[in-house]
Amino acid sequence: MEETVLLVIVLLLPLTASLVVTQVNPYHALVMRGVLGTIAALIYALFGAADVALTEALVGTMLSITLYAIAVRSSLSMRLGVLEGSPVLDASTLAARQLLQRIRQGLQPQHMRLELAAYANAELLLAALRDREVHSILLEPGDETADYRLVTRVPRLQTLLAQQTLVCEVMAP
Amino acid sequence: MEQLIEGVSYVFFAIGVLFWLWGTAPLLGDRSILFKLHSLSVSDTLGSMSIMIGLLLRIPREWPLLVLALISLAIWNTTLGYVLAFCSRRKPL
Amino acid sequence: MNLLLFLLTLTLCLPLYAAWLKEDIWKTMLAFASLATKTSILILVVSVLRDDWMIGIVGVLMLSVGNAALMLLAHVIKRLEML
Repeated sequence: MEETVLLVIVLLLPLTASLVVTQVNPYHALVMRGVLGTIAALIYALFGAADVALTEALVGTMLSITLYAIAVRSSLSMRLGVLEGSPVLDASTLAARQLLQRIRQGLQPQHMRLELAAYANAELLLAALRDREVHSILLEPGDETADYRLVTRVPRLQTLLAQQTLVCEVMAP
Repeated sequence: MEQLIEGVSYVFFAIGVLFWLWGTAPLLGDRSILFKLHSLSVSDTLGSMSIMIGLLLRIPREWPLLVLALISLAIWNTTLGYVLAFCSRRKPL
Repeated sequence: MNLLLFLLTLTLCLPLYAAWLKEDIWKTMLAFASLATKTSILILVVSVLRDDWMIGIVGVLMLSVGNAALMLLAHVIKRLEML
């Protein structure tokens, strides 16, 4: 009887491992990695390897998923440089809100976030784009009828945003 | 006397397993997240504590370890319930 | 005692199935939290069954420190939704 239970528990390990591999969303995959770590710790403990189980529980589950969550969160994002005092920063005008919404919708399928960075004037904004501090910048419309201008240095971001019919110019390197 | 204690520990195990099953079943249903969180935290904490008391009756000589587990279970599981409920509230962008 | 082990393993499979359904990330987190508690209790039961206190200590440590990672992860995911 105990062998049967042990067999069932051991079979859970490849099952959870395949669940980790088949996840699309990186955050879901991280949580599943935690589940895999707990099941693995359980199996190690059942086989009598207390030290391995403790290491798996503390390092493999606790530390690694927390570090990975922070790493994924900071790398899967688009930094957008805007001018200080722009309505985009606090989404105060309708046009700014719609623009932010469309950019977020364009980034959503890739599980990316939008991060805003404020710069004092247009020269600093362009310099930030050149110095690779931001991925793209947003230039204010010149007059009432004009639209915001998006300039990016990453061609892939242009194709992503083009699916939301957002026009995005690619700056020459 | 020993048989009585063993019987009582079996009763505690049965209560614990029933609590676990009762609390984990809503996880598969189509209810709101807070309902699931509530039933899970109540049943996991109480069911696990009941199983631990059953274990404590069986092996009283290892009581410090099991009492530590009981206390940490009671504190951390309720705290985790609060933290998860606080974090899973939907906030407008 | 063997029946108890079997029932505990059965309840272990329920949150795993809930995690497999992958809907909301918070439901997966709930399943993970429930699974973490259940595995440590299972380890404790087995340690009593075998009278092996080395594994018992692992179960107690997983119970007392394992939830901290879950709280940190919950806060990271919450910050993610706010931005």
